[in-house]
Amino acid sequence: MKDLACTSDSYVHEQSPSNQTSIAMMQEPQEMVEETVTVEEDPGTPTSHVSIVTSEDGTTRRTETKVTKMVKTVTTRTVRQVPLGPDGLPSMDGSSPMGSYTDSIDRRYMKNGERYITPQASSTLTRSYNSYNDSYPDSHEGQYRPYISHDGYGDLPDNYGSLSRGVNYRPRYAYVPGNSYRPDDGSFTLPSRRDNYGPVAQPQVPVGSNVDLNRSQPERFQPEPYGLEDDNRSLGVDDEGYELDPDYSTVNRRTSAGVSERGRPHKGRGYDDPIETEMVEERIPYLHGGYAAPLAQPERGSMASIDRLGKRSPSIDSIRKDPRWRDPDLPEVIAMLSHPIDPVKSNAAAYLQHLCYENDKIKKDVRHLKGIPILVGLLDHPKPEVHRKACGALRNISYGKDNENKVAIKNCDGIPALIRLLRKTNDMEVRELITGTLWNLSSYEPLKMVIINHGLQTLTNEVIIPHSGWESEPNEDSKPRDAEWTTVFKNTSGCLRNVSSDGAEARRRLRECDGLVDALLHALQSAVGKKDTDNKSVENCVCIMRNLSYHVHKEVPGADKYQELDASQTTSTGGSQKKKKDDAGCFGGKKAKEEWFNQGKKNGDLDRNFDTLDLPKRSETAKGFELLYQPDVVRLYLSILTESQNFNTLEAAAGALQNLSAGNWTWSTYIRATVRKERGLPVLVELLQSDSDKVVRAVSIALRNLSMDRRNKDLIGSYAMGELVRNLPSRQQRSAKNLEEDTVVAVLNTIHEIITDSSENARSLIQTQGIQKLVAISKSSQSPRETKAASHVLQMIWSYKELRNALQKDGWNKSHFQSVSTTPKGSKGTAGRSAYDDSTLPLVDKSQDNEKAGSRDMIPMDELGPDGYSTIDHRDKERKYKTSDNTGDASEKEPLKNDTNRKNINRSNRASVNLVDARDIKPQPVDSWV
Amino acid sequence: MSYVPGQPVTAVVQRIEIHKLRQGDNLILGFSIGGGIDQDPTQNPFSEDKTDKGIYVTRVTEGGPAEVAGLQIGDKIMQVNGWDMTMVTHDQARKRLTKRNEEVVRLLVTRQSLQKAVQQSMLS
Repeated sequence: MKDLACTSDSYVHEQSPSNQTSIAMMQEPQEMVEETVTVEEDPGTPTSHVSIVTSEDGTTRRTETKVTKMVKTVTTRTVRQVPLGPDGLPSMDGSSPMGSYTDSIDRRYMKNGERYITPQASSTLTRSYNSYNDSYPDSHEGQYRPYISHDGYGDLPDNYGSLSRGVNYRPRYAYVPGNSYRPDDGSFTLPSRRDNYGPVAQPQVPVGSNVDLNRSQPERFQPEPYGLEDDNRSLGVDDEGYELDPDYSTVNRRTSAGVSERGRPHKGRGYDDPIETEMVEERIPYLHGGYAAPLAQPERGSMASIDRLGKRSPSIDSIRKDPRWRDPDLPEVIAMLSHPIDPVKSNAAAYLQHLCYENDKIKKDVRHLKGIPILVGLLDHPKPEVHRKACGALRNISYGKDNENKVAIKNCDGIPALIRLLRKTNDMEVRELITGTLWNLSSYEPLKMVIINHGLQTLTNEVIIPHSGWESEPNEDSKPRDAEWTTVFKNTSGCLRNVSSDGAEARRRLRECDGLVDALLHALQSAVGKKDTDNKSVENCVCIMRNLSYHVHKEVPGADKYQELDASQTTSTGGSQKKKKDDAGCFGGKKAKEEWFNQGKKNGDLDRNFDTLDLPKRSETAKGFELLYQPDVVRLYLSILTESQNFNTLEAAAGALQNLSAGNWTWSTYIRATVRKERGLPVLVELLQSDSDKVVRAVSIALRNLSMDRRNKDLIGSYAMGELVRNLPSRQQRSAKNLEEDTVVAVLNTIHEIITDSSENARSLIQTQGIQKLVAISKSSQSPRETKAASHVLQMIWSYKELRNALQKDGWNKSHFQSVSTTPKGSKGTAGRSAYDDSTLPLVDKSQDNEKAGSRDMIPMDELGPDGYSTIDHRDKERKYKTSDNTGDASEKEPLKNDTNRKNINRSNRASVNLVDARDIKPQPVDSWV
Repeated sequence: MSYVPGQPVTAVVQRIEIHKLRQGDNLILGFSIGGGIDQDPTQNPFSEDKTDKGIYVTRVTEGGPAEVAGLQIGDKIMQVNGWDMTMVTHDQARKRLTKRNEEVVRLLVTRQSLQKAVQQSMLS
């Protein structure tokens, strides 16, 4: 989550500026920020893979669970091989190791740098078998020795405790058969080992499992009980290995535990005979050999070799005592991903997923060892087991703070590969893994557009639409379907939520994505209908809607035709909109509508009695992005605001209303009136009492935008002033709720907006004892932003000469209203303004400002200007709100610019400067469909 | 991936064969191109070298013929059916791709991930 926060900050910057700018109107940016945050959380969800695996308590366990499965598989193999076993002994044990060994052999080849050739692998197996039957000796050694050097020890000695252990374990097996191979052991050994070591060995085991041989007798070994045990053990082991003993010590433990102590609990590792330790080291080479042997028949091969060498004695003894299993080291696991035998691949991938769980170091190592491209390559593997496991590993790898891992997945074209797989598979689990991975990836900004480019329509068609219950051509007989809050839907909506915050171009793409807006709205309506508005999917959907509603009045095709008079006068506006105009041509029938609206607008603008305003009747039902700003959505958002207990959802819904009521186009006029007619103002005012800081903030800003409607302003002034003032800190304490600075500033700005051009509202502010708090803030607040915002309000109040008498009666004098503010003005004032101008705000925006001109003029631009400006650059949260006044305007525009430039991944550049650039860029690059 | 006029170009390329899809009267490839020697190369978001005036893939229709064939956003098109695409105008490139009498186009494309993959394999 924290990581995400960082991301969110950057987002915030982009958007936040806009928030501030529009002051009242646009605050979407903030909302955007939140979104980002959410994303991070989601990544956490991905972790849940584990959970998927098992239903047990700890996630980790779950992961392990998977491992267990692998172990089981191995066992199966053994069975098969058993028949093969020359000894006639319970070949079971021996055989299983072999399977695993085979795998290891392959890996080693890989390590050597040689290309892995499938034929070889098979040949290897054969040999091993042969050797097994015939004689352990030479053939095995020859093959295995070379590999020995490769072993994890050489490569990754200390880091991977598990590896060391693993070595010991495996060898054991191998040796056991040779030296003191007991028929009994064979049968017992497997189970016991599993119990103790199973987890450790798992990686290899899986490999072994590949062999389909299991068919013959898989059932025996498969017994789930083993699996469970293994899991637990494995859990313990793994933890220990990675956390505690990277070194040989681990090995020792295991060794001891291994052979002789099967019965023992893991933890018995305490085995610390010095001798043993030494032995272990010596063994290692052998072990490796043994390890390699597993491929063919580790046990025998190793033993044979040992015998020959004569080194046996020490090593053998130790070996016998030690568990033979060892975990493959990371390079081996990664090499196994390319093993010709599919089960080996899938087991290796599953093991990787397990290893990566909550272990950033392993993730990084996998990346450095170039494991990620291999995993991505496996996504196209035809076998479900393989691409499923690869996907699971990628999900874990993609989760976390380390964005490098995400980039690595993207750099090897992992995103298109995931999308391809999503289109191909019907396996729910795989789809969950894919979308979970994409959700993780989407938390990193530079990847957002990549996801949009490769997968937006697919995600919409494959997941969002079907799970939302929306049907583009509803069958009249069947009743409308409800949304299904599946994990896949949650993941996908989370992913889209993240990518929807990537600036204007991203918003445009999402808005124009066929069926997306329709499906999201349908899902939300379904949620409201079922009173199920607290879940994460709903939160994601509302956040997407809020983001897509941001700047809708500027970015939607043909939006300029709906601009209200003020705006239209300053036509020189945005270039970004112009592009879209052309597109508008595609939307038939618009012209008539537009004209209709234009007439309506005039009435609307001038007519303060909006209650009488009739909403336009549409000749055709709205669809696609048009749905975003139809007055119908107001009721939906208000229902959510009434029903939901989820703060994020509440904030997003309030933010959506905030965004929709911002701007000066016809639709926002309707939205503002509709909120009033749907009795939404009381709902919003009540939420000012929320315990959640951000909800208060979003609601406060929404009220500010809504008060652009004169009737709303009167109502809000009468009924909301008390709640607003209550949210301000009093002299002694910051406030009952201890709201953040941003929120306090937002509330102050809202109050400012409400009392602008309304002496009645200013009077009610006085009556709610607001002056006392305002003066306290302006004089003694630690926050310069709060101080400024409060002093602006005070200045506004003082500007109403008719109120001065009342104020003076209460003991206030001019100094309370102007002294503080004046000082800052003098110095900063000019600078602020200049900065404002420099930002090259679009004329249109200015016009908007002009609407509020009364208030603005009153307010010293200077103070606000400088901060706001700086804020934008910083991107910090602070700036979001700081700018809210003047700067805010600038910010709004910025997003537009971003559209043009949007390719610039660097958000930092997005500041006002970007805006300028964007404009300059106007000559649009030609882009031709072929 | 920068190119010096007059000098041979070395790049790791992938062959992509796209079978056009008939849509009404049109044969479509399902992707869009940007760039060309008559375009402003600084606006190309996909090029590493901002003076590169090559033809780049700017969008790929999901599920369309180009995507099926493996074309990706950001790919630089080096050749179309053997014709050089590194020094052509935008319109020339468009026409070369949309020949009505050709139902199949064979592209040589290069992309950063290809280059990197090769580099890595050479390093290791």
